[in-house]
Amino acid sequence: MTSFGPVAAATAAPIRLAMQRLWLTGSVLAAGARLVVQHVFRSDEDHPVEVIYAFMLPRDAALRAFRITGEGFEAHSELRPTEEAVKAYEKGIAEGSLSTLARQYGDGVVNLTVGNLRPRETVTVYLEILAGVELRDDGFRFRFPFTLAPAYHQRMRAAVVDGEGEWELPADEFGDVMLPRFRKDASELHEVGFDLSMVHTLPLEEVGSSSHAVKVKYDGTEPARVALAPAKDVPNRDLVLDVKFKQSRAQVLAGPVEDGKRDFAVVAPSTVFGRNPEEARRVVILLDRSGSMAGEPILQAKKAIEASLAALSDEDSFGLMAFDDSAEAMHAALVPATREQRELARAFLKQTNARGGTELAKAAAEAAKMLAGSGDIIVLTDGQVAGTEKILQLARSSGVRISCLGIGSASQDRFLALLARETGGVGRFVTAAERVDLAAVDLFASIGSPVASGLSAGANVQPAAPHAVFAGVPVLLFGEDAGEGIGLNWTGGSVHFDVPEGDAATGEAVRLLRGARMITDWESRYPSEEALAPLEKRQQSRVAGRLLELSKQYRLASREMSLVAVIKRTGDRGGELPEVRVVPVGMPQGTPFHAYFHGPASVVACSAFEAQAPLMSRRRVGAARPEIRNGASMPDTPAYMRMMVTKQPAPGADGNDDLVELAAMLEADGGMPGNTPGIRAARSAAAVFAFVQAGHTLTAGAFRLHLIRLAGYLRSLTAGSAEEKRMIETALAAASSGSAPVGGWVALSGAAGTGWREIEAAMR
Amino acid sequence: MGDHMTLTELSEASACPARTIRFYIARGILDGPNKAGRDAAYGQEHLARLERIKGLQDEGYTLAAIRGALDPAPLIAPVATPVSAWWQHEIAPDVMVWVRGEMSPWRTKQVRAAIEEFAGRVRVPEGEQPKERKK
Repeated sequence: MTSFGPVAAATAAPIRLAMQRLWLTGSVLAAGARLVVQHVFRSDEDHPVEVIYAFMLPRDAALRAFRITGEGFEAHSELRPTEEAVKAYEKGIAEGSLSTLARQYGDGVVNLTVGNLRPRETVTVYLEILAGVELRDDGFRFRFPFTLAPAYHQRMRAAVVDGEGEWELPADEFGDVMLPRFRKDASELHEVGFDLSMVHTLPLEEVGSSSHAVKVKYDGTEPARVALAPAKDVPNRDLVLDVKFKQSRAQVLAGPVEDGKRDFAVVAPSTVFGRNPEEARRVVILLDRSGSMAGEPILQAKKAIEASLAALSDEDSFGLMAFDDSAEAMHAALVPATREQRELARAFLKQTNARGGTELAKAAAEAAKMLAGSGDIIVLTDGQVAGTEKILQLARSSGVRISCLGIGSASQDRFLALLARETGGVGRFVTAAERVDLAAVDLFASIGSPVASGLSAGANVQPAAPHAVFAGVPVLLFGEDAGEGIGLNWTGGSVHFDVPEGDAATGEAVRLLRGARMITDWESRYPSEEALAPLEKRQQSRVAGRLLELSKQYRLASREMSLVAVIKRTGDRGGELPEVRVVPVGMPQGTPFHAYFHGPASVVACSAFEAQAPLMSRRRVGAARPEIRNGASMPDTPAYMRMMVTKQPAPGADGNDDLVELAAMLEADGGMPGNTPGIRAARSAAAVFAFVQAGHTLTAGAFRLHLIRLAGYLRSLTAGSAEEKRMIETALAAASSGSAPVGGWVALSGAAGTGWREIEAAMR
Repeated sequence: MGDHMTLTELSEASACPARTIRFYIARGILDGPNKAGRDAAYGQEHLARLERIKGLQDEGYTLAAIRGALDPAPLIAPVATPVSAWWQHEIAPDVMVWVRGEMSPWRTKQVRAAIEEFAGRVRVPEGEQPKERKK
C-alpha cells in the first residue's frame, strides 16, 4: 500500500500527527488583517480521537467563525455563550458526533478542539480571525504566531516528558486550558505556511520578512501577494511581515455598512501632529534578566541600553533596574544622565546575567515609585509571562507610561501591545534574529515628549483616541461616519479627514477590526479568577456584560462567547471515549529549552551553599539565529514574481554595531569625547556624517535623537577658525538633508586623535 | 452519587471539566470507565482519584510526576531524563543536600527557597558542635 503520510527523517517510520497542516491566508490592510487559518486534522489511529490545538491570538485579535469540511459534509460554526457552547460540544462528543469547539482563555490563548475524529478520517477547519498590526509612520509589521512561547508563572509546573517540554498552569486561575508540549526539534511536526494579500492604499516601497523566506508578487495595481517561498515550514516561530510605504501620509479606509453609514479606520502618522518638543526626560529602564532572555537577547538588550542612555543629556535623569523574580536597581532614585552615571550603568549591566522568573508587575511598581508620578518606563523583555491580565491591572493602576520593547521569536505581541497602549506608551516587538539594540534606540527616540497630547476625536470615533501621540507611531482610529468626516483636536492643533465612499468589503473588514480591538481591550480588564467564576456571579461582572454585548454586536467570539459546531454523521456511535491528543509545537527559536524544562546536565559541580551560588548561572543552549532574511523591493510598473533568499547579515556586517558603539560614546553635553575642544568638535562632526551616511537624519532613523544632540552640541560651539565653522555648518546641513560626503566617518569619529585636519582631508 | 456515574456526572461531582477527565485518561493518570460504550460508567474510585490529582497539582506536582506517584508500578520514572550532575550543598556541618543540576530557573528558585528554609531550621548555633549519637 502506498502512503503519502509524513515519516520521521531519521528512521523513516510513519509519524502519527493529529494535525498535519496549518496554512494562513487572507488579507492584510494598514489597519489590521482579516485571516483564514486552515487546520487539517487527520487520525491515523484505530480509535476515535479528540485533537486539541492551542495557539496564541495575535494582537487585537478575535475569532469570527469557522467552517469545517470532511468527506461528504460541510458545516459552519455557531457563536454561543461559552457555557452553552461547551455543553453542546460535550453532548456531541457523548453522542459520537464530530464536534468542534473554538474557545478562548486568559492571555489570549485559544483551544481549537476537534472531537470524535474517526480512524483514518480527515477534516479541515477554516478559522476566520481578525487581527491588528504594529503600525509605524511609514508602514506596518504584521505578526502571526505559528507556535506559542512557554511563559513564566509563579505556580507553573514544567517537566520533560518523553523528551518534550510539558508546561502546566494552575486550573484555579487558568481553567481547563490545554497547552501544547514543546519539541526542541520541530522538523517532524505539522507543516505551516502562508499566502496573503497585502491590501494598501499607498504605493509600496518594500515587503519583507525577518522570519521566513518569502516570495512576493506585485504589479503595482493589484494587491501584493506574499507567500512562503519553500513548499512548507515548521511551527517554531512567528511569521513576521514588514510592509513599507513609499510615502508617509494619513490613510482612511472605509466602506458602507448599513443605514447609509460607513465604517472607517484612519491611520494618521505622527508627522500629522508635529515634532517632538525638547523637554527634559525622566526615564526608568527595566531590563528583563529572566532565564528565557539568556543568550543573544540579553546581550543585545544591554548594548541597546548603553546606546539609548547616550541619547540623554545633563538635564535628563534616569534609573536602571534589572528584574527576574525580584528587581535590582542601580540606584534607589533617578540620577542625572552624567558621564559618571552612565559609566556606573555600564558596570551595572556588565554584572547582569539572565536567570530566574519574570516578575514584571513587581518591577514596574518599583520603577513607578522612582518616577513619582512623572516620566516613562521602558521595558526590554521577551514578555514570556502568564496571567497577563493581572499585570495589566497593576500597570494601569501605577499611572505611569510604560513603553515596551519585546524580544522573541514567538508571540507575546498581544500582551506587550496591550501593556503599552493601556498605559499610554509605545510598543515595539522584534525577533531575536533582528537588531534589538537598533529597535531599542529607535523606541527610545520615540518616547519621552509626545509630539501631541490632549488628543480628542468626535463622538463617531470608538474606541476613544489615545491621549498622546509619539514620534514615529501613527494614531489608529475606528468609527462610523454619517457624512460628517473625522475631526481630531489636540493641544495646539486640529485636523479633519474626509471619509471616502469605499467598498462593502473594506467597510465590513474595518468594522470587524474595530470589534476585535474593543473585545481585546475589555478582555485585558478581565482578571482570570473573575472570568472563571460561576455564571450567576459573572453575570454581575461589568466586564463580562460588556464582552457579551460586544460579541453579539460584532458577531465575534470572546471569553464569554465561543464557536461550536456538531456534525451528526451516519454510523455515529454514542458513548465511545475519544482519546485526547494535544498537538505539540516547536520550542520558539532562540528560547533555550532548558530555560523552562529540566534537561540532562553537562556540568558536574560541587560547591558550598551560597546565596548567589552558581545554581543560577545559565548558559545559552542551542539558541540559533535564523539563517534567512528576505525581502523584495517593489518596482513601479511591470508584473513580476520574485523570490529572494538572503542571509541575515552577521552582527557588525551591516555597520550598525559600530553606530551603536558610536552612539554610546556621546558625552552628556551631546558631543563626542576628546582631549581638546578642537578634537571634540571634529569628532562630533565626523559622528554626524557617520550617522547620516547610514541613513539617519534629525527626524528619521533610529539614531535621530543622537543626531539632535550632536547638532545641539555643534551649534553651541563659538570658538574655532572660519574653516572649522564652515565644516560645522556642513555637518549641520547634512543632519537636516540626509546627505553626507562619502568617507570613513565611523572610524574617524571613533579615533581618539581625530582633529579638523583629518576631517578636512576626508571631505576632500 | 453511586458507582454508575456518566462522564457528565463525574465532571459535575469533581468540578473537573469532561475534556480534562478524558485527557487524564489518555495520559494514564486516571483509569477509563468501568464499562465501555453507551453504558460507560465511572465510580467513586474515579472521583477519589480526581481529588487526589487536584491535591497533588496544588502541591506543585506535574502530571508526569503525579502519574509516577499514583501508580505503584510507574510506567515512567518521576525524573524523565538521566541525571549526570548534582549540586552539593553543605547547609550544616552534619547536613548535606543534593540538588539536580541544570534545572529550570523557576524550579531552581523554588528549591533554593526550600533549602534556605531548611538550612535555617537545622542551623547549629555558633560555637556549638553538632551532637553525635551516643554509642
